[in-house]
Amino acid sequence: MSGIAAVFYRDYRQRMTNIGFVFWDLFVPLAYLLLFGLGFERMLGGSIAIAGENFGYIEFLLPGVLGMVTFSVAMNTSWGFFMDKDSGIFYELLTYPITRLQLLVGKISFNLLLAVIGSMLAIILGVVGMNASIRWSLLPLTAAIVVTATAGWFFLFSVFAIKLARMDSFNTLLSATYILLMFLSSMFYPLSDLPIWFRLPAYINPMTWQVDLLRFSLLGVGSAMPLLLEGAAVLVFALVCLALAVRALNRAD
Amino acid sequence: MTNAIEVAGVQKSYRAKDGELVRALDGISFEVPQGRIYGLLGPNGAGKSTLVKILSTITPLDSGRAAVMGFDVTRQPLAVREKLAVVLQQTATENLLTVRDNLLIYAYLHGVKSAVAEQRLRALAEEFELGERLRDTVQELSLGTKRRIQVAKIFMLDTPLIILDEATTGMDPLMKRRVMDRLRAEARNGRTILLTTQVLSEAEELCESIMILDQGRSMASGTLRELRKLSTRLFRVNLLFAGTDGDLVGRLKALNPVELQVDGNSAEMVFEGEEASLLGKLADISRDTPILQFEVRGPTLEEIFIALMKENR
Repeated sequence: MSGIAAVFYRDYRQRMTNIGFVFWDLFVPLAYLLLFGLGFERMLGGSIAIAGENFGYIEFLLPGVLGMVTFSVAMNTSWGFFMDKDSGIFYELLTYPITRLQLLVGKISFNLLLAVIGSMLAIILGVVGMNASIRWSLLPLTAAIVVTATAGWFFLFSVFAIKLARMDSFNTLLSATYILLMFLSSMFYPLSDLPIWFRLPAYINPMTWQVDLLRFSLLGVGSAMPLLLEGAAVLVFALVCLALAVRALNRAD
Repeated sequence: MTNAIEVAGVQKSYRAKDGELVRALDGISFEVPQGRIYGLLGPNGAGKSTLVKILSTITPLDSGRAAVMGFDVTRQPLAVREKLAVVLQQTATENLLTVRDNLLIYAYLHGVKSAVAEQRLRALAEEFELGERLRDTVQELSLGTKRRIQVAKIFMLDTPLIILDEATTGMDPLMKRRVMDRLRAEARNGRTILLTTQVLSEAEELCESIMILDQGRSMASGTLRELRKLSTRLFRVNLLFAGTDGDLVGRLKALNPVELQVDGNSAEMVFEGEEASLLGKLADISRDTPILQFEVRGPTLEEIFIALMKENR
């Protein structure tokens, strides 16, 4: 079994022993879509205009919920490093004949599958259960965005998980990051109507780039050049975070 | 033949929580030929675990050179890790997984093929009395059993070097004996074993060569025989007297032993000094209380260790 496959198998076995994690990853975003989406759709009454086109709030929110899936899966997977520290196996893992890169990639691989499944469930709920209308032709692109973004977030959170000694510090940091990145992005509302002090940090938030890309792949909205830039930025973000995570593992002593 | 371990002038410092720079290793050098059992001894904070972490590529060294089976730990860490099976000081098990998964996944992560891993699992389950526990989740097991699983894991592999950092801590005596026997057998088959321990009797029994570390420096190294030579002025005397009298203990204490234990008409003493002068004094005592048995032997590893520590501080 290759290094990545072995780490993949290890994470699969671990995840399957704790259905709570899987439930959290797959169903909490669905609950957001169902409760938050339905509530706001009724409250707003009409539709939301993006780039001259009108969409229902559930359609608008759906790409954001996919963003939430990537975030949740990445958070829970990086939390696994704390479980490894707690059980004492973290340092032993570093003595195994696998590279730090293989360890990180293997660890996220199984969870990427979960993120894709979670995203598909959210799309099915949105379309079948809540009458959202999406563009099916770019579904592979949606999956690619989900995979890249989940990996990027995981690598970023892994840096915190590896460097921080205390789980409560990690949880606090992640909760703050979660709130900040979700609400300071285009996940729940269009940025165009918001004040400049809100829009500026939102534009440099990787969650905004990711949600914009997902909105394009699912709804077909957006202009080519900004989307290309955001696509490149998501990729660079993932690669930089990967490099930082490898570095953190190399200095994990 | 390449040495299994080569360490030359290794230095390592780290910053403590109060910001002070602590020198964990200060120019350590040693070599371990293949197929040997080598012991690293020392009190807490001596630098043993730091050395283990450097050799297993967890911690980078500051200066010097360390190599495992000819591969440099800094430049070829992956090649080094391919040659290692490591038991670290802290208990390390996959707590959410079953015992079976713990052993198999460890093997898979070291590139062992599935069929071979299954075969080794069966043999180890019997040897380490884990057969009935294979389907249990590790978090439900006792600390001693977790330690047993951790040590059993290394025998899922056939790497040429085994590193054990205080590996038998928390094990029951019977299992400890079994592990020691297994380690000896592995060494006979050509595997090299580096172990750190604070249980000196364990090191004395297992190790062919030993290095005593303190405060990051090597205090002494060599075979047990060579270490004994360093402490020639230290010797242990066992005496059996024909009887006891009220003054016997006082007269023995007057000889200024380093250690004295009297139990009825027998006494065990550790002396530091010239053997000949002691014999004269004992002859004086035997005139009043005859000595039936008299035995002198060299110091134990523990006595050498304590003497060296005292000298160093």
